[in-house]
Amino acid sequence: MTPSNADIVIDGRGLEPPEPLVRTLEALDQIGPAETLLVLLPHEPYPLYRALKLNGFSWQTTRRPDGTVEVLIQHQPQ
Amino acid sequence: MQALLSFEQAPPIAAPFRFFLTAPLFAILAGTLLLWSGPELLASRWTPSALALTHLITVGFMLQVMLGAMIQILPVVAGANMARPLLVSSLVHAAIVPGALLLTAGLLTSQPLVLRLAVLLLGIGIALFLGAAGHALVGVRSTNPTIQGLKLALIGLAVTAGLGMLLAVARDGSSGLPVLQLTAIHLGWGLVGWGGILLAAVALVVVPMFQITPPFPAWFAHGFSWSVLAVLSSWSIVVGAGWQRPSAVLAAAVVLTVAVFAALTLQVQRRSKRARFDASQYYWRLAMLCLLAACALWFAADSLPALAQRQEWPLLCGVLALLGGFMSVMVGMLYKIVPFLVWLHLQNLGDGRVAAPSMNKVIAARQIDRQLYAHVASLVLLLAAVIWPEWFTYPAGIALVLANVWLLYNLLTAVAFYRYQRLKMVAPTSAIPPPQGTC
Repeated sequence: MTPSNADIVIDGRGLEPPEPLVRTLEALDQIGPAETLLVLLPHEPYPLYRALKLNGFSWQTTRRPDGTVEVLIQHQPQ
Repeated sequence: MQALLSFEQAPPIAAPFRFFLTAPLFAILAGTLLLWSGPELLASRWTPSALALTHLITVGFMLQVMLGAMIQILPVVAGANMARPLLVSSLVHAAIVPGALLLTAGLLTSQPLVLRLAVLLLGIGIALFLGAAGHALVGVRSTNPTIQGLKLALIGLAVTAGLGMLLAVARDGSSGLPVLQLTAIHLGWGLVGWGGILLAAVALVVVPMFQITPPFPAWFAHGFSWSVLAVLSSWSIVVGAGWQRPSAVLAAAVVLTVAVFAALTLQVQRRSKRARFDASQYYWRLAMLCLLAACALWFAADSLPALAQRQEWPLLCGVLALLGGFMSVMVGMLYKIVPFLVWLHLQNLGDGRVAAPSMNKVIAARQIDRQLYAHVASLVLLLAAVIWPEWFTYPAGIALVLANVWLLYNLLTAVAFYRYQRLKMVAPTSAIPPPQGTC
């Protein structure tokens, strides 16, 4: 999975909590088995990680030089 | 909508809430003590009632909020999950509440037995918390400055509590310990090593997150907690050794770092993208302005001997730092943390079938605004009471009680909202009457 070709992108920077979490959880309902969701945030979203683990998603986190945290999400392989 | 929390990972809502709901009770007691003691309380920072009042705010109000917030914040910002959070919270709370009450009684009466009991209970409660929080943080890499700050703040809490217990036991004067120097070090670690480092660590996350601002500058985020701890440790050693000149220079450096934090926070806050400030932002602004004023007053007293001789300046500094700085910022944060937790737990309870109501509905904005005005009034009146105790002590006491009864009411409103919504979610078909007033 690579961030550049994610199927859905959510830019949560500049949104007040819990809006980034709400939008991400809503988007999780929409992504198909082979699709990816990219979430951009100003900090590491530990509560989101817990929710992803709980709901059967895998993720990959990278940090940009400007401090933005990129979380690339997809369904866990069956 | 997916499930949000698992009960093994997230602290139940009751874990932090017991601390948040107890905190205003201590501030109400502080106001009551002001009314009971009268103007004599403010004759000096060393009167038994002034010491008791100070510890009602620090060990009563502040410690409750700080521990409750840490129990919640550790998993959210550091991914550090405390084992059995509800049990730890219950035990810590059960120890520190009577501990703080006994400490107040002991400072008022100078009864060694009461003070020793207070030391025992507070020691158990704080040691338990340090053990649980330290265990949760073991193996958590400091991938951001907030995690680093949380770890260092725990060292600050340990030093503050250790020195405080030593001073409480030594209060009968028979120990031969250098009480004045130890008191100064205890105060420095409590305000800066524990309170300041924790506040800055949390600010790095919550100011940009809730106030939609740019991040703090990297040099500050990475350097603040370590610099403060290094300078504070050096200052403590020098004070202990009795070296006057270097201790004055290092003390000035500590105060300067606090002033830099307050000034930077104000600067970051000015760049908020929110169209309109809410009460929480005003609370932050008030807190940072008060911290700056306390630092300025400290420097003025340091350089003007005429001011340094007056009894009022340390009291003014104390009121500005504790009531104006720490209490303001904590109340401001409670108005974000509490609705967020209510939303989070309701959302989880809905399990994707029922969406939780908006965070803004948990406590009405106008109720928060009014409580902010009451808090500002209590701060202004207490500052005036330091200068003109005969005129303003009683109004300040009444205002402090009112502001914190109001805070308690607002927090109870959030609890009532949570209970009502939870009932609605688990019994969707039944007709549930709306909540009357509070719980």
